[in-house]
Amino acid sequence: MHRTTETVNAVFQPMAHAGQEGWQAQAEVFWEVFSVFAAVGILVGVVVVAYMMYNVYKYRDSEDASGEVESVEVGELPRDAMSKKSKKLFVSLALSAVIVIVLVVYAYTALLYVEAGPEVEEDAEMHVHVEGYQFGWDFEYENGHVEAGTMRIPENTVVRVTVTSRDVWHNFGISELRVKADSIPGQTAETWISAEEGEYLIECFELCGDAHSQMVATLDVMEEDEFEEWYEGTNPEDETEEAEG
Amino acid sequence: MASVKKYAAIYVVLLVLAAGKFVFFELDQVFGYWDAFTGVMALAVAKTALIMWYYQHLNEEPRSITYLVLGSYFLVLLLAAAATFSITSGVY
Amino acid sequence: MSELPPKSSVKRWLVTTNHKDIGILYTVTALFFLVFGGILALLIRAQLWGDLGDGRLMSGLAYNEAVTAHGLVMVFWFLSPFAFAFANYLVPLQIGADDLAFPRLNALSFWLYAFSGVLLGISFFQGGTLDAGWTIYAPLNLPAYTPSIGSTTAILALFMFVVGVTASTMNFLVTIHHSRAEGMGLMDMPLFTWSILLTVWMMLFAFATLLAVGLILASDRIFGSLFFDATTEGGSLLWGHLFWFFGHPEVYIVFFPALGVMFEVFQSFSGRRIVGRKWVIAALILIAVQSFLVWMHHMFLTTINLEIKTLMMALTIGISLPFDLIVFALIYTLIKGRIRYTTPFLYSFGALFFIVVGGITGVFLGAIVLDYEFRGTYWVVAHFHYIMFGGATALFGGLYYWFPKMTGRMYNELWGKLQFAVFFVGFNLVYFSMFAAWETPRRVFEYVEAMTPIHRVGTVGAFILAFSFLMMFYIFAHALRHGEKVGDNPWDYTRTTEWAVPSPPPLENWEGRPSFEGGSLNFVSKATDGGHASAHDHEGHADHASIWPFAISVSMLVLLLGLSGLTVWNGREITGVSTGYAAVTAIGTVAFLGSMLQFGREGFSAPQPAVAERWPFEGMDKNKLGTWFFIASDIMVFGAFITAAIFIRFEAGWTTWQPVTDSIYGLVNTFILLTSSFAVVLALVYARRGSKKGTMAAIGATMFLGLSFMAVKAVEWHEKFFIDGVSWATNVQYTTYFMTTGLHALHVLLGLMIAAWLIFRTKEGAYMDDDRPIELFGIYWHFVDIVWVFLFPLFYLF
Repeated sequence: MHRTTETVNAVFQPMAHAGQEGWQAQAEVFWEVFSVFAAVGILVGVVVVAYMMYNVYKYRDSEDASGEVESVEVGELPRDAMSKKSKKLFVSLALSAVIVIVLVVYAYTALLYVEAGPEVEEDAEMHVHVEGYQFGWDFEYENGHVEAGTMRIPENTVVRVTVTSRDVWHNFGISELRVKADSIPGQTAETWISAEEGEYLIECFELCGDAHSQMVATLDVMEEDEFEEWYEGTNPEDETEEAEG
Repeated sequence: MASVKKYAAIYVVLLVLAAGKFVFFELDQVFGYWDAFTGVMALAVAKTALIMWYYQHLNEEPRSITYLVLGSYFLVLLLAAAATFSITSGVY
Repeated sequence: MSELPPKSSVKRWLVTTNHKDIGILYTVTALFFLVFGGILALLIRAQLWGDLGDGRLMSGLAYNEAVTAHGLVMVFWFLSPFAFAFANYLVPLQIGADDLAFPRLNALSFWLYAFSGVLLGISFFQGGTLDAGWTIYAPLNLPAYTPSIGSTTAILALFMFVVGVTASTMNFLVTIHHSRAEGMGLMDMPLFTWSILLTVWMMLFAFATLLAVGLILASDRIFGSLFFDATTEGGSLLWGHLFWFFGHPEVYIVFFPALGVMFEVFQSFSGRRIVGRKWVIAALILIAVQSFLVWMHHMFLTTINLEIKTLMMALTIGISLPFDLIVFALIYTLIKGRIRYTTPFLYSFGALFFIVVGGITGVFLGAIVLDYEFRGTYWVVAHFHYIMFGGATALFGGLYYWFPKMTGRMYNELWGKLQFAVFFVGFNLVYFSMFAAWETPRRVFEYVEAMTPIHRVGTVGAFILAFSFLMMFYIFAHALRHGEKVGDNPWDYTRTTEWAVPSPPPLENWEGRPSFEGGSLNFVSKATDGGHASAHDHEGHADHASIWPFAISVSMLVLLLGLSGLTVWNGREITGVSTGYAAVTAIGTVAFLGSMLQFGREGFSAPQPAVAERWPFEGMDKNKLGTWFFIASDIMVFGAFITAAIFIRFEAGWTTWQPVTDSIYGLVNTFILLTSSFAVVLALVYARRGSKKGTMAAIGATMFLGLSFMAVKAVEWHEKFFIDGVSWATNVQYTTYFMTTGLHALHVLLGLMIAAWLIFRTKEGAYMDDDRPIELFGIYWHFVDIVWVFLFPLFYLF
């Protein structure tokens, strides 16, 4: 596994936009793969549909029709069409197989990258544990601080995220960052985030009950110092005291 | 259709195999848990094969019926094995 | 056994067992559910429009109910039954059979379907129907989160539907493998029949799994077992596995018949044979097999490991290749033809376009790294509507294509084309707009502001689409009254045999016995049928009417309705039993058993053809073949329960569990069941020898042993309930133990009832020259024994 990841990183590093650390955020990986798929997909789609339309027009039934019907009678047992078209069939099939397999192998290398997460020093990482519930999100930090509704992380830092659920099946997703993980009771899924400063929308992507539509939270990606300052102030023990006072 | 004698012989073999299953788990000094597990499963498969082949008369039907039933068993095995494997941490 | 009244009589439609009548009943009922599901879709689209002045149209709960019911109705109550409307009508005609193998069972399938839909309708009025999405993920599917009685009713409606489907599956499998006219080998079958054959093969295994899933969920919801509640033991993921093991083949189950229609229509209206016919069939077979190997691609984002994801991804990509071949074969068939742009052709061509779009966007989803982001978004919604509604598009083409055959009248071609144009525009507006708005989460109505215009385009498209259906209904209604009368074959260049008989075909389909010896259809008249004449005379007395399928279905509806509210829940626990619902359950049970008994007692003759192609099941009686198909599906049902037990125990830590019960009970019952198997074998031996006493004694011994089994079980369970004070609601380990062995005990009980019936009939002198029913009972009873062979170690030893 380890070795594979290195190879994959070698492929992706030169394209990394976030240059300085040498890794790509999921959104960038997604965008690259999606662009390639979209380009190939649209090209194939246009060619196939154009070819369909061309033939359906060319061989339409009319006075000067260029095609002809094969003689058949009702009730005759089917026979295989004797033509060169079968050969053509396999050439097309082989072509489509090559396209699809190349696309998927390419996408698979990207998957291994995303699965492993970027390689950074251990201490550069932080970890947030997300718990979904009807209908909101709790975010628990390494120091034990728990907060609902807003997830705060420092900018351009790889944040490991573990996701679970307190009640039913949810799905933790941030569209803009292309980050998503199932939030399943009794299971812990993993993903990672790294983002620029700003606010992002967290939504639930699995039907979870009547307020599913309203099950949103905010991801607040803060400047490094600002985050540190906020994090220092979140001593869970203080919180209990405050609550008691 | 086989003779009553043959059916009776198969019945006796089935009884012995059934008792064998129990014995595997009674002699826990001799067999470890997973040995007993494997042994019992082997006996179960043998019993199933005997019942299907001679009592359900698969030996007299077109072979396709055997394949049909094996197909079902295979899919059950696939579902159970793949689903269970999916929640292991994998081979790496 | 009553006479079949004329078509103008309402009674005819309640008692008919004729495949063409049933086909028409399916068509009408499926179109009704299309309207039902369509109205729900319009509600969804209206909600997505945005604020309607004073808030949204529906509450969050009502919206979820609409979304759920829309999915369930369209997938189960519309798509498959609509396809099977054609299958009912056409498969016997295409293979040269008089009817399906079991006509009365076919009527039962239809009425179970129709009344399961009624039950689903009733669920709306029991505190709201299910609101967990058509994928019904756990544990949202439990009363703790979806407490309405209507939710349970919806699950039971699905269960009832699946029971009907299971019967239908076996019926079609036996028909196609047992009733093909002389000379029609499997490879000679029309491609529509081929697609139906492969569909029912997939259904055999997939729907049996869904049946088990329905049973498990119903048991959780009504009796408080804990399968899906066991979230720490993987209960949620278990749902994912079981549901999608059914759910992925289901996609092809609804899609294959559509391909079948497209093959026929493309050939008829281009005047060319399909290109690479045998490769197309090979591709279809490959897809049918592979459909059972890709289910976890619906679970890429769950916690399943990377290895299995990789494997599933590779297999998923693998399954796209045979589809490519089929698409190319369809396109190449058009080349050098003389294509006539009739409405059926336009629909099929449109369907091909939708499938290309749906297929390409599906490749995106096959790439896991993209799927991670598409999961739960409108990309998925758009993709599967292009595929599944794309399939339905071909089926609408089929409706136009076979309408003259089924009614004897032609629709207005110009109107049909116009209708297609409106349909096509509406379709693309709704579903293509979803690709543009793909970041929107599924089943959410409060989305990002910027998406509003796109969703509104979709809503406009949905209403245009709905309007096109009004046009379609008008066109057909008009044609029924004023359409031009047609002869046998209103289209040129058709080849399948339904076009060789009058439109609509007569009740018995054929004059004389159809045969394909010599490469094309000819009829062997009774006079010249030589050695088979006597066999054919015997067929003259086929029955076509029975009221019991209708009665069984109504009583099953009552029974399930009673079950839906039988137990009263208090958030997490059962707190009591509702007397009202208990009374309904009791009435339903009595009526159900009574009508089943009448069904069994009724003499209903549906003779099997004396001469037919039966590969690969030559020489088998149709009832025995049917029994084996039933056993194959029952293996899947038990398989799902056993998988649940294994999966849950594995997640909990296999060796942390010890058997919850004394192994001696299991051992004693093992010996009892083995002995009873031996007794059943002896019963058959005595029946063959013509010994009435011996037969009765042997079945009597079987019954005695079966009752002993139940007695041991009673002692065992008594100890659990009243001495240990545990039940299936104690913890999930007890749940798997009680429910799996309980399902087995139910099978024993059913066997005992059949045995009692056999003794009664033997006493009357039956089976002395026809021992087949005893043999069939034996096959069933041995199967019950085999299941115990595995349950004994699983719950008493391991």
